[in-house]
Amino acid sequence: MVAEAPPGPRRRPLELELAPILLPMLSIGAVLALWELAPRLGWVSATSVPPGSEVLVEVGAVFRDPTFFPNLGSSAGRWATGFAIALAIGIPIGIVMGRSKVAFQMFDPILTMTYPVPKAALILIFVLWWGAGDLSRIMIIIMGSLIPIIISSYHGAAGLEPRLLWSARALGTGRAASMLRVVLPGSLPQILSGVRLTIAISIFTLLASELLIRQDGIGAYMFTNLDNGQFLRVWAVSVVIASIGFLLDLLYVLGVRRVLPWLEGDV
Amino acid sequence: MSTDTVRTTETAPKVVAEGVRKTFTTRRRGEVVAIESIDLAVQPGEFVSIVGPSGCGKSTFLYIVGGFEKASGGVVTCDGDPITGPGANRGIVFQEFALFPWKNVLSNVTYGLARQGVPRAERLERARELLQTVNLGGIEKLYPKELSGGMKQRVAIARTLAMDPDVLLMDEPFGALDAQTRAVLQIELMEIWQRNRKTVLFVTHSVEEALYLSDRVIVLSDRPSRVKAVIDVPIPRPRDRERLLAHPLYPELHAKIWHLLQNEDVDEDALSGR
Repeated sequence: MVAEAPPGPRRRPLELELAPILLPMLSIGAVLALWELAPRLGWVSATSVPPGSEVLVEVGAVFRDPTFFPNLGSSAGRWATGFAIALAIGIPIGIVMGRSKVAFQMFDPILTMTYPVPKAALILIFVLWWGAGDLSRIMIIIMGSLIPIIISSYHGAAGLEPRLLWSARALGTGRAASMLRVVLPGSLPQILSGVRLTIAISIFTLLASELLIRQDGIGAYMFTNLDNGQFLRVWAVSVVIASIGFLLDLLYVLGVRRVLPWLEGDV
Repeated sequence: MSTDTVRTTETAPKVVAEGVRKTFTTRRRGEVVAIESIDLAVQPGEFVSIVGPSGCGKSTFLYIVGGFEKASGGVVTCDGDPITGPGANRGIVFQEFALFPWKNVLSNVTYGLARQGVPRAERLERARELLQTVNLGGIEKLYPKELSGGMKQRVAIARTLAMDPDVLLMDEPFGALDAQTRAVLQIELMEIWQRNRKTVLFVTHSVEEALYLSDRVIVLSDRPSRVKAVIDVPIPRPRDRERLLAHPLYPELHAKIWHLLQNEDVDEDALSGR
């Protein structure tokens, strides 16, 4: 019996090993240096572009501000609600579209028509309908997230390897049961990539809604500081938001890799 | 040495195809006839290979027997019952891409048993036995992405055997493997078949593989395909490769099938005016 070794990682030369660490440090370092030097050397106004180090110190002040965290909390709550609803609606619609011609022909024209509409343009209409409260702002997050989630779920389900489905059927899985047992897990790689993109999109729509409707939330907090001429604070909050976005993405990728060890390639 | 060759028993055939026809409708060429007409009767416990030029519809025929695709005409029966869809009495092994990537080796093998409601302890026991049968030990927890091509096909065979189907449909199961792994898996399949004597329909484009494994070889013509010839392989079992190659009938049978396939390519060239 000839035993075959499963494919394993191969060793690479040291310079190839280090390049993926050194090169990003180089480019990020250059951006940070420019951000620090440009206002200090008077290339740009230090009021509009405060030096990076000052912004970083101001981040500490943001975290000490007792009004910051309630605003962050209300943003997070609306984001999570809208995002969860979009997932709950979008994934089933996309999967059914991918497996049923009738469903595809019904939903596809709606998607094609609404896809190019900038979702931020709907904010004022939503305010007209539901007022300037949580409902309007959650609806706009749902609207922004729904289409990319539907499209990635659709592609995952439509592109499913037919032999996977046939195997399951020959192994005694009914037609309906195979939707949950085969089509859903088989579509997951593409759904999960779509969800990752949608995280970024949904944070954008969250902020757009808060900057336009204000009330409360991290966008409103930023706008209030702008009104008060606290430009440094506006920069610091932007840095916080960017970091949150970065961390969410990182946690998502690490989480998926941990929970679904069978996935091939990246999310 | 046992000398059971082609068993011409009087029992009822296991699988019967009568006038099976398959047409596709394409946007550019309208209706295309893939399979003109296939008639075939496979005896219980018989190992039958189907060879034919690429694109001749041999896999499509196998999918019709599996119940995955519908015939446009004619009928296929298994134990006398017309086939209307996939069933647990007919197991299939594809060339690749058929293991569930989200399940580890053990769960892939136990999948069908779980659908049948077999209790967990029994499922695990049977799966471990089968993994031993296909010479896979100690990889239960690995996922398909961590396996080599040969290992994947062994798992796929174990998963299908777990259902204990009457008929084993194999769609070029070793076609994507390197020559050495392929030879090893052919031997393993033969050993398994010698023990359980399933009825096997085996699609391949390797004449040598067909001769090594089969009681009969069905040669299909090019599209629209018909059964061009049915070749008996009266070489005694158990066969091993050296004895097969040394057998006086082998060169003759090989040349005959090769010639039948070769002619197809000439016909095609003549038709396209080259």
